[in-house]
Amino acid sequence: MATSPALDVPPEQPPHKRQKTATTTSSLHKPNPSSPPTTDVASHLDTLERSKYRKGAKLGSGQYADVFSATLISDPTRIVAIKKIKVGPEAREFGISYDSLREIKFLQELEHPNIIKLHAVFSTKNQNLNLVLEHLPQGDLLKLIQDTANISYTPADIKAWMLQLMRATWFCHQNYILHRDIKPNNLLIAANGEIKLADFGLARSFADPFQPMTYNTITIWYRPPELFFQAQYYGDRVDIWSSRDVLFRAWPETEMGMVKLICEKVGTPTESNWPGVSKLKGYVTPSEITPLRPFEYWKQSFRAIGDTGVDLLMKMLTLDPRKRLSADMVLRHGYWTAEPRPSRLEDLPRKGGGAEAMGEDLTRRGGEVPEVNGKGGGKGGKRGDGVARKIDFGGLG
Amino acid sequence: MTHALSEDDIYRTSTQYRLWSFSPESLAALRKKTHDLALERAQRYACNDNGDVEFLTQEEELRLVQRYCDQVRTTSDHFKWPVNVEATAVQYLTRFYLTNSTLTYPPKEIYKTVLFLACKTEATHMTLSEYARRISTEAEVVLAPEYKVMQALRFTLDVRQPFRALKGALMELLNLAEGMVGGEDGDGDGEELQAQMLDVPPPPQGSKTQWKHPGAGKVGAEQLHDRIQAAYSAARNLLDAPALLTDVYLLYTPSQILLAALQLADEPLTSFYLSTKLFASDSLTRPKILATISACADMLAAFSPSQVLTKDDRNALEAKLERCRDPSTRDLVKAFAAMRQDGSGEEGEGVRKRRRLEREKSQKEGDDLFGPSLQRPKANGAGG
Repeated sequence: MATSPALDVPPEQPPHKRQKTATTTSSLHKPNPSSPPTTDVASHLDTLERSKYRKGAKLGSGQYADVFSATLISDPTRIVAIKKIKVGPEAREFGISYDSLREIKFLQELEHPNIIKLHAVFSTKNQNLNLVLEHLPQGDLLKLIQDTANISYTPADIKAWMLQLMRATWFCHQNYILHRDIKPNNLLIAANGEIKLADFGLARSFADPFQPMTYNTITIWYRPPELFFQAQYYGDRVDIWSSRDVLFRAWPETEMGMVKLICEKVGTPTESNWPGVSKLKGYVTPSEITPLRPFEYWKQSFRAIGDTGVDLLMKMLTLDPRKRLSADMVLRHGYWTAEPRPSRLEDLPRKGGGAEAMGEDLTRRGGEVPEVNGKGGGKGGKRGDGVARKIDFGGLG
Repeated sequence: MTHALSEDDIYRTSTQYRLWSFSPESLAALRKKTHDLALERAQRYACNDNGDVEFLTQEEELRLVQRYCDQVRTTSDHFKWPVNVEATAVQYLTRFYLTNSTLTYPPKEIYKTVLFLACKTEATHMTLSEYARRISTEAEVVLAPEYKVMQALRFTLDVRQPFRALKGALMELLNLAEGMVGGEDGDGDGEELQAQMLDVPPPPQGSKTQWKHPGAGKVGAEQLHDRIQAAYSAARNLLDAPALLTDVYLLYTPSQILLAALQLADEPLTSFYLSTKLFASDSLTRPKILATISACADMLAAFSPSQVLTKDDRNALEAKLERCRDPSTRDLVKAFAAMRQDGSGEEGEGVRKRRRLEREKSQKEGDDLFGPSLQRPKANGAGG
């Protein structure tokens, strides 16, 4: 084959070539030629992909999707998760939903050890989309940190998790993708303890300058102040704020409650600490102004992460998004190389609700929160009860 | 410890590179194969009729698809959607017809679907009903081929585009003109580069830029500024029809496309710009990169709007298509509905079978002294 003039490295073989090799190696799974009325290369490949997997037990079922465990027919030791997207009533008004399209679009482009791997997508005869995802049997970080009765974690563990999350965030941003829904139950745990960022249902590419975006995004507890104030132009820093789910010990029901909390814990956003903030459409703060909290105040709450940790935390939770650190700057911070070093993978706590939790997490639509009495977790904690469901730095003295 | 990813590394992980980049030879081969397959199939459905059907040639197929790429552009403009929606939709259509023939799916029935899909994947919000209403069509007509399109796109939706990068080049050129940028290989500081830039020879005859050298005397800072802006606008125009209605997206990377456009706009300026990026001493990759950009520029330059089919030509071609098209895909809306039905039917069969087994089981248990066990209706079982 001639090399492309475009690229030093010749591109992959075109689809039709690859299909040939695929058929010769697995003649067993030849699709029934009579079934589709017209077979073209793409639908042939689709059929081929579909016939690679043997569907197993259902791991979870939600409004938006069902999740099954499945194995590769060619190698039954290899387990994957298949997320079958349901066609809801909104399909009549939108066709394939924005969430599914976003998830497929972005996961197809992102390959990183800390981002859930999308192995393939195929459709079934009745035109359901099936996402073949990495199987992450250890549940999610939320369940893990909730399970205070059985699991204890150290500052080094937290550092290891945070580091993996920040790498995933950095990689998204390197690819000009905003995740916009970073939270513990979107962080799944692999068999080896690695953290994997999942659920790209709310993601989008960076907008061009002056192209407005929605401010009504990110689950409110992880939402940065600029979005509460209805900024329509924002950037990668929104994900940085979400990445730090540690500061707030309460879980207010309303957006106003969250704003109050931010003012109390970080300080009231004002023109002096955030020039231009008062011009944002939704700028409302409690009338009593709390000055920016000093280092000492933060340190009281977060002794365990040390001075460098507190310094990083303050810079990640800076009100003004222009002064907040980028993922790249976060990764260059001294915290990661300070003692204690991040835990090794094999030393990290694992069980965060098991495969069912993954099943449950993947069935949700982007931005949805788990049900109050979700079956898998069953810690009996009410959603508003934040005591058990946050990484407790203060307690780790 | 940290492995630094270059932009090239990241680009190579993209689906655009992995699935949708070709050499001219492999692209031609794929298209030929698709066309031949369609003809082969056509022989089967056409022999029912009394022979003598004339089929669209591969060239005619390509022209028709190009015409509908243009149609996508005008429709997108009609909605005043940003250019990224337009570019994505055009690429969806182009990619669709790499593995599908117009004989099977006439583009008239596909282009509305790809545009709506692109509007969704490029985060532009419009409901289906409003979209359908404004292009005077039925919502079902838009939706019916959606899965077919997704499948043909191999479920990859991201389209890398040169527009933002061209803006980046504009900013960089402006900074160079201000003396704010040093050279890549360390020789010459910002001011030196600025001086060199003022001495860049004027664009030759036939350049796409509107800028003209003021004639006598040296170019001043203000004129340089105008020159850059004019080069940008000319290049931006080239990224519209010429880039979208040729094969450049399938053969070149977005940065190669934008540099090619810039080169056609103002060659000396572009060559100066590239000299700040590429080591003159690099005898290995530099000539390769420059040759690639020139090849892409040639392709863009060879485009002329008159190549796009006129409405009459299109109608004639579609009349011909109507006589030779695949009858099995004639009614996509109905096929779509049937497919849905089929799917649920399939599932229904599973449910029926389970019910029968349950019935038999309870019948068996019915013989038990205590009667059958109580059944609780089950939620949806595992689907197909």
